[in-house]
Amino acid sequence: MELSKIERLLKKYDEGNASLAEEKLLRDYFLNEDVPEHLESYRLMFIFSAREAREKFEEKPKVQPARNWYAWTSIAAILIVGLGIFFFNDSSRELNQNDLGTISDEELALQKTKETLNMVSQFMNEGKSDLVYLKEFNKTKNQIIEIDN
Amino acid sequence: MKETTFLNIIDPVKDKMYRMALRLLTSKEAAEDATQEAILKLWNRKGKIKHYANIEAFAMTVTKNYCLDQLKLKQNNNLRIGHQNYESNSIPLQSEIEVNDEMEWLGRIVATLPEQQKMVFQLRDVEQYEYKEIAKIMEMNETAIRVALSRARKAIRENLIKKHNYGIK
Repeated sequence: MELSKIERLLKKYDEGNASLAEEKLLRDYFLNEDVPEHLESYRLMFIFSAREAREKFEEKPKVQPARNWYAWTSIAAILIVGLGIFFFNDSSRELNQNDLGTISDEELALQKTKETLNMVSQFMNEGKSDLVYLKEFNKTKNQIIEIDN
Repeated sequence: MKETTFLNIIDPVKDKMYRMALRLLTSKEAAEDATQEAILKLWNRKGKIKHYANIEAFAMTVTKNYCLDQLKLKQNNNLRIGHQNYESNSIPLQSEIEVNDEMEWLGRIVATLPEQQKMVFQLRDVEQYEYKEIAKIMEMNETAIRVALSRARKAIRENLIKKHNYGIK
Protein backbone atom coordinates (compact mmCIF):
# COMPACT_ATOMS: atom_id res chain seq x y z
CA MET A 1 0.00 0.00 0.00
CA GLU A 2 1.28 3.48 -0.83
CA LEU A 3 2.50 5.56 2.03
CA SER A 4 0.22 8.46 1.15
CA LYS A 5 -2.83 6.28 1.62
CA ILE A 6 -1.51 5.00 4.93
CA GLU A 7 -0.93 8.51 6.15
CA ARG A 8 -4.39 9.57 5.10
CA LEU A 9 -5.87 6.64 7.02
CA LEU A 10 -3.71 7.41 10.04
CA LYS A 11 -5.12 10.92 10.15
CA LYS A 12 -8.63 9.50 10.24
CA TYR A 13 -7.47 6.97 12.84
CA ASP A 14 -6.14 9.72 15.08
CA GLU A 15 -9.40 11.61 14.88
CA GLY A 16 -11.41 8.51 15.75
CA ASN A 17 -13.12 8.60 12.36
CA ALA A 18 -11.71 5.48 10.73
CA SER A 19 -14.08 2.55 10.23
CA LEU A 20 -13.25 -0.92 11.52
CA ALA A 21 -12.33 -1.98 7.96
CA GLU A 22 -9.93 0.93 7.59
CA GLU A 23 -8.38 0.18 10.94
CA LYS A 24 -7.91 -3.41 9.85
CA LEU A 25 -5.99 -2.21 6.78
CA LEU A 26 -3.74 -0.21 9.04
CA ARG A 27 -3.27 -3.09 11.45
CA ASP A 28 -2.32 -5.48 8.66
CA TYR A 29 0.12 -2.96 7.28
CA PHE A 30 1.84 -2.17 10.58
CA LEU A 31 2.01 -5.76 11.80
CA ASN A 32 3.33 -7.25 8.57
CA GLU A 33 5.31 -4.72 6.58
CA ASP A 34 8.42 -2.63 6.95
CA VAL A 35 7.40 0.64 8.48
CA PRO A 36 9.25 3.94 7.89
CA GLU A 37 10.85 5.32 11.00
CA HIS A 38 8.58 8.33 11.48
CA LEU A 39 5.62 5.94 11.83
CA GLU A 40 7.35 3.69 14.38
CA SER A 41 5.14 4.90 17.24
CA TYR A 42 2.04 3.71 15.35
CA ARG A 43 3.64 0.34 14.77
CA LEU A 44 4.29 -0.10 18.49
CA MET A 45 0.71 0.85 19.29
CA PHE A 46 -0.69 -1.71 16.88
CA ILE A 47 1.62 -4.39 18.25
CA PHE A 48 0.53 -3.47 21.77
CA SER A 49 -3.17 -3.74 20.92
CA ALA A 50 -2.65 -7.07 19.19
CA ARG A 51 -0.74 -8.49 22.13
CA GLU A 52 -3.24 -7.25 24.68
CA ALA A 53 -5.96 -9.15 22.84
CA ARG A 54 -4.14 -12.41 23.57
CA GLU A 55 -4.81 -12.30 27.30
CA LYS A 56 -7.13 -15.12 28.32
CA PHE A 57 -9.41 -15.77 31.27
CA GLU A 58 -8.03 -19.12 32.43
CA GLU A 59 -10.39 -19.91 35.29
CA LYS A 60 -13.56 -21.88 34.86
CA PRO A 61 -16.49 -19.55 35.38
CA LYS A 62 -18.31 -20.56 38.55
CA VAL A 63 -21.95 -19.81 38.66
CA GLN A 64 -23.57 -20.90 41.90
CA PRO A 65 -21.44 -21.16 45.03
CA ALA A 66 -24.15 -19.65 47.26
CA ARG A 67 -26.87 -22.02 46.09
CA ASN A 68 -24.95 -25.16 47.13
CA TRP A 69 -24.60 -23.81 50.61
CA TYR A 70 -28.34 -23.36 50.89
CA ALA A 71 -28.94 -26.88 49.57
CA TRP A 72 -26.66 -28.40 52.21
CA THR A 73 -28.25 -26.39 54.99
CA SER A 74 -31.72 -27.53 54.01
CA ILE A 75 -30.58 -31.15 53.78
CA ALA A 76 -29.14 -30.88 57.30
CA ALA A 77 -32.34 -29.29 58.60
CA ILE A 78 -34.50 -32.02 57.05
CA LEU A 79 -32.27 -34.70 58.59
CA ILE A 80 -32.49 -33.16 62.04
CA VAL A 81 -36.28 -32.84 61.91
CA GLY A 82 -36.65 -36.35 60.49
CA LEU A 83 -34.45 -37.97 63.12
CA GLY A 84 -36.16 -35.98 65.84
CA ILE A 85 -39.60 -37.24 64.82
CA PHE A 86 -38.30 -40.78 64.51
CA PHE A 87 -36.83 -40.89 68.02
CA PHE A 88 -39.83 -39.19 69.55
CA ASN A 89 -42.18 -41.79 68.11
CA ASP A 90 -39.87 -44.54 69.20
CA SER A 91 -39.74 -43.58 72.88
CA SER A 92 -43.49 -43.04 73.17
CA ARG A 93 -44.03 -46.51 71.75
CA GLU A 94 -41.78 -47.98 74.47
CA LEU A 95 -43.81 -46.18 77.11
CA ASN A 96 -47.05 -47.64 75.80
CA GLN A 97 -45.69 -51.15 75.86
CA ASN A 98 -44.76 -50.88 79.55
CA ASP A 99 -48.21 -49.62 80.37
CA LEU A 100 -50.01 -52.62 78.95
CA GLY A 101 -51.71 -54.77 81.64
CA THR A 102 -49.86 -57.95 82.49
CA ILE A 103 -52.24 -59.59 84.96
CA SER A 104 -54.81 -61.83 83.34
CA ASP A 105 -56.37 -63.39 86.49
CA GLU A 106 -59.32 -61.22 87.58
CA GLU A 107 -59.09 -62.13 91.31
CA LEU A 108 -55.46 -61.27 91.38
CA ALA A 109 -56.06 -58.06 89.50
CA LEU A 110 -58.69 -56.99 92.06
CA GLN A 111 -56.33 -57.87 94.87
CA LYS A 112 -53.52 -55.92 93.37
CA THR A 113 -55.73 -52.90 92.70
CA LYS A 114 -56.94 -52.94 96.30
CA GLU A 115 -53.38 -53.14 97.54
CA THR A 116 -52.39 -50.25 95.38
CA LEU A 117 -55.32 -48.10 96.44
CA ASN A 118 -54.66 -48.93 100.09
CA MET A 119 -51.13 -47.92 99.71
CA VAL A 120 -52.15 -44.66 98.10
CA SER A 121 -54.64 -43.82 100.89
CA GLN A 122 -52.08 -44.77 103.53
CA PHE A 123 -49.64 -42.31 102.08
CA MET A 124 -52.38 -39.73 101.84
CA ASN A 125 -53.14 -40.15 105.56
CA GLU A 126 -49.50 -39.91 106.46
CA GLY A 127 -49.26 -36.72 104.50
CA LYS A 128 -52.45 -35.37 106.10
CA SER A 129 -51.16 -35.99 109.63
CA ASP A 130 -48.48 -33.45 108.92
CA LEU A 131 -51.15 -30.84 108.36
CA VAL A 132 -52.45 -31.03 111.98
CA TYR A 133 -50.69 -27.83 112.97
CA LEU A 134 -52.96 -25.93 110.60
CA LYS A 135 -55.58 -26.18 113.33
CA GLU A 136 -53.38 -23.93 115.44
CA PHE A 137 -53.84 -21.28 112.83
CA ASN A 138 -57.57 -21.58 113.05
CA LYS A 139 -57.52 -21.30 116.84
CA THR A 140 -55.51 -18.13 116.69
CA LYS A 141 -57.61 -16.74 113.94
CA ASN A 142 -60.78 -17.33 115.95
CA GLN A 143 -59.30 -15.50 118.89
CA ILE A 144 -58.68 -12.40 116.77
CA ILE A 145 -61.70 -12.31 114.53
CA GLU A 146 -64.98 -12.67 116.27
CA ILE A 147 -67.71 -13.78 114.07
CA ASP A 148 -71.03 -12.49 115.12
CA ASN A 149 -74.03 -14.43 114.25
CA MET B 1 -32.04 -21.11 31.56
CA LYS B 2 -29.72 -23.97 32.39
CA GLU B 3 -26.20 -23.54 33.69
CA THR B 4 -24.60 -25.08 30.60
CA THR B 5 -26.60 -22.89 28.23
CA PHE B 6 -25.58 -19.86 30.20
CA LEU B 7 -21.91 -20.83 30.21
CA ASN B 8 -22.04 -21.37 26.45
CA ILE B 9 -23.36 -17.86 25.98
CA ILE B 10 -20.72 -16.41 28.30
CA ASP B 11 -17.80 -18.39 26.89
CA PRO B 12 -16.97 -16.18 23.87
CA VAL B 13 -17.29 -13.02 25.99
CA LYS B 14 -15.43 -14.02 29.12
CA ASP B 15 -11.95 -13.27 27.74
CA LYS B 16 -13.07 -9.82 26.68
CA MET B 17 -14.60 -9.24 30.09
CA TYR B 18 -11.36 -10.32 31.71
CA ARG B 19 -9.23 -8.06 29.51
CA MET B 20 -11.51 -5.13 30.25
CA ALA B 21 -11.19 -5.83 33.98
CA LEU B 22 -7.43 -6.18 33.61
CA ARG B 23 -7.21 -2.85 31.80
CA LEU B 24 -9.05 -1.11 34.62
CA LEU B 25 -7.80 -2.97 37.68
CA THR B 26 -4.26 -3.79 36.44
CA SER B 27 -3.74 -6.70 38.82
CA LYS B 28 -4.45 -10.12 37.35
CA GLU B 29 -5.94 -11.46 40.58
CA ALA B 30 -8.30 -8.51 40.91
CA ALA B 31 -9.28 -8.85 37.25
CA GLU B 32 -10.02 -12.56 37.66
CA ASP B 33 -12.17 -11.89 40.72
CA ALA B 34 -13.98 -9.09 38.91
CA THR B 35 -14.71 -11.29 35.90
CA GLN B 36 -16.01 -14.04 38.16
CA GLU B 37 -18.23 -11.57 40.01
CA ALA B 38 -19.55 -10.10 36.78
CA ILE B 39 -20.42 -13.57 35.46
CA LEU B 40 -22.21 -14.34 38.73
CA LYS B 41 -24.18 -11.11 38.41
CA LEU B 42 -25.22 -12.07 34.90
CA TRP B 43 -26.26 -15.51 36.13
CA ASN B 44 -28.39 -13.99 38.88
CA ARG B 45 -30.14 -11.89 36.25
CA LYS B 46 -30.46 -14.73 33.78
CA GLY B 47 -34.22 -14.41 33.77
CA LYS B 48 -33.94 -10.97 32.25
CA ILE B 49 -31.12 -11.83 29.86
CA LYS B 50 -33.51 -12.83 27.10
CA HIS B 51 -34.85 -9.30 27.03
CA TYR B 52 -31.44 -7.85 26.30
CA ALA B 53 -30.91 -7.83 22.56
CA ASN B 54 -27.14 -7.80 22.83
CA ILE B 55 -25.93 -10.00 25.67
CA GLU B 56 -22.29 -9.33 24.89
CA ALA B 57 -22.68 -5.57 25.26
CA PHE B 58 -24.66 -6.12 28.45
CA ALA B 59 -21.96 -8.42 29.85
CA MET B 60 -19.30 -5.82 29.09
CA THR B 61 -21.35 -3.07 30.73
CA VAL B 62 -21.77 -5.18 33.87
CA THR B 63 -18.01 -5.81 33.93
CA LYS B 64 -17.23 -2.14 33.39
CA ASN B 65 -19.57 -1.02 36.16
CA TYR B 66 -18.28 -3.61 38.58
CA CYS B 67 -14.64 -2.59 37.96
CA LEU B 68 -15.43 1.10 38.35
CA ASP B 69 -17.17 0.34 41.64
CA GLN B 70 -14.09 -1.55 42.77
CA LEU B 71 -11.90 1.40 41.88
CA LYS B 72 -14.22 3.69 43.80
CA LEU B 73 -13.88 1.48 46.83
CA LYS B 74 -10.14 2.11 46.55
CA GLN B 75 -9.53 -1.54 47.27
CA ASN B 76 -7.08 -1.71 44.44
CA ASN B 77 -5.17 1.45 45.10
CA ASN B 78 -2.07 -0.43 46.09
CA LEU B 79 -2.17 -2.46 42.90
CA ARG B 80 -2.64 0.34 40.42
CA ILE B 81 0.74 0.54 38.75
CA GLY B 82 1.17 -2.17 36.20
CA HIS B 83 2.85 -5.47 36.56
CA GLN B 84 1.53 -7.14 33.47
CA ASN B 85 3.52 -9.99 32.10
CA TYR B 86 4.09 -10.02 28.40
CA GLU B 87 4.85 -13.61 27.62
CA SER B 88 6.74 -14.26 24.45
CA ASN B 89 6.32 -17.73 23.11
CA SER B 90 9.44 -17.70 20.93
CA ILE B 91 13.09 -17.50 21.91
CA PRO B 92 13.70 -13.87 22.83
CA LEU B 93 15.88 -12.25 20.19
CA GLN B 94 17.45 -8.87 20.75
CA SER B 95 14.69 -7.16 18.73
CA GLU B 96 12.05 -9.14 20.64
CA ILE B 97 13.46 -7.99 23.97
CA GLU B 98 13.37 -4.40 22.75
CA VAL B 99 9.76 -4.78 21.71
CA ASN B 100 8.88 -6.29 25.09
CA ASP B 101 10.44 -3.28 26.70
CA GLU B 102 8.35 -0.97 24.54
CA MET B 103 5.23 -2.95 25.31
CA GLU B 104 5.78 -2.56 29.02
CA TRP B 105 6.16 1.17 28.47
CA LEU B 106 2.96 1.27 26.49
CA GLY B 107 1.17 -0.63 29.25
CA ARG B 108 2.31 2.00 31.73
CA ILE B 109 1.27 4.85 29.46
CA VAL B 110 -2.19 3.38 28.98
CA ALA B 111 -2.46 2.89 32.76
CA THR B 112 -2.02 6.63 33.27
CA LEU B 113 -4.97 7.51 31.03
CA PRO B 114 -8.30 8.50 32.59
CA GLU B 115 -10.60 5.49 33.12
CA GLN B 116 -12.97 6.48 30.33
CA GLN B 117 -10.21 6.76 27.71
CA LYS B 118 -8.67 3.51 28.91
CA MET B 119 -11.97 1.69 28.38
CA VAL B 120 -12.68 3.20 25.00
CA PHE B 121 -9.15 2.37 23.83
CA GLN B 122 -9.56 -1.18 25.12
CA LEU B 123 -12.91 -1.67 23.42
CA ARG B 124 -11.91 -0.22 20.07
CA ASP B 125 -8.21 -0.96 19.53
CA VAL B 126 -7.92 -4.22 21.43
CA GLU B 127 -11.39 -5.74 21.06
CA GLN B 128 -12.32 -3.98 17.80
CA TYR B 129 -15.92 -3.21 18.61
CA GLU B 130 -18.08 -1.01 16.37
CA TYR B 131 -18.74 2.50 17.67
CA LYS B 132 -22.38 1.61 18.07
CA GLU B 133 -21.53 -1.29 20.39
CA ILE B 134 -19.03 0.77 22.37
CA ALA B 135 -21.67 3.44 22.86
CA LYS B 136 -24.01 0.78 24.24
CA ILE B 137 -21.38 -0.70 26.56
CA MET B 138 -20.16 2.65 27.83
CA GLU B 139 -23.65 4.12 28.02
CA MET B 140 -22.40 7.20 26.15
CA ASN B 141 -23.13 8.67 22.73
CA GLU B 142 -20.99 7.90 19.71
CA THR B 143 -19.55 11.38 19.33
CA ALA B 144 -18.29 11.35 22.90
CA ILE B 145 -16.76 7.92 22.25
CA ARG B 146 -14.91 9.17 19.17
CA VAL B 147 -13.58 12.17 21.07
CA ALA B 148 -12.39 10.04 23.99
CA LEU B 149 -10.78 7.54 21.63
CA SER B 150 -9.03 10.26 19.64
CA ARG B 151 -7.66 11.76 22.85
CA ALA B 152 -6.50 8.38 24.10
CA ARG B 153 -4.70 7.50 20.87
CA LYS B 154 -3.01 10.88 20.64
CA ALA B 155 -1.99 10.82 24.30
CA ILE B 156 -0.49 7.36 24.01
CA ARG B 157 1.48 8.27 20.92
CA GLU B 158 2.70 11.58 22.30
CA ASN B 159 3.93 9.89 25.46
CA LEU B 160 5.65 7.23 23.43
CA ILE B 161 7.42 9.80 21.23
CA LYS B 162 8.37 11.85 24.29
CA LYS B 163 9.94 8.80 25.86
CA HIS B 164 11.86 8.01 22.68
CA ASN B 165 13.14 11.54 22.26
CA TYR B 166 14.19 11.60 25.87
CA GLY B 167 16.53 8.75 25.13
CA ILE B 168 17.98 10.42 22.05
CA LYS B 169 18.09 14.14 22.67
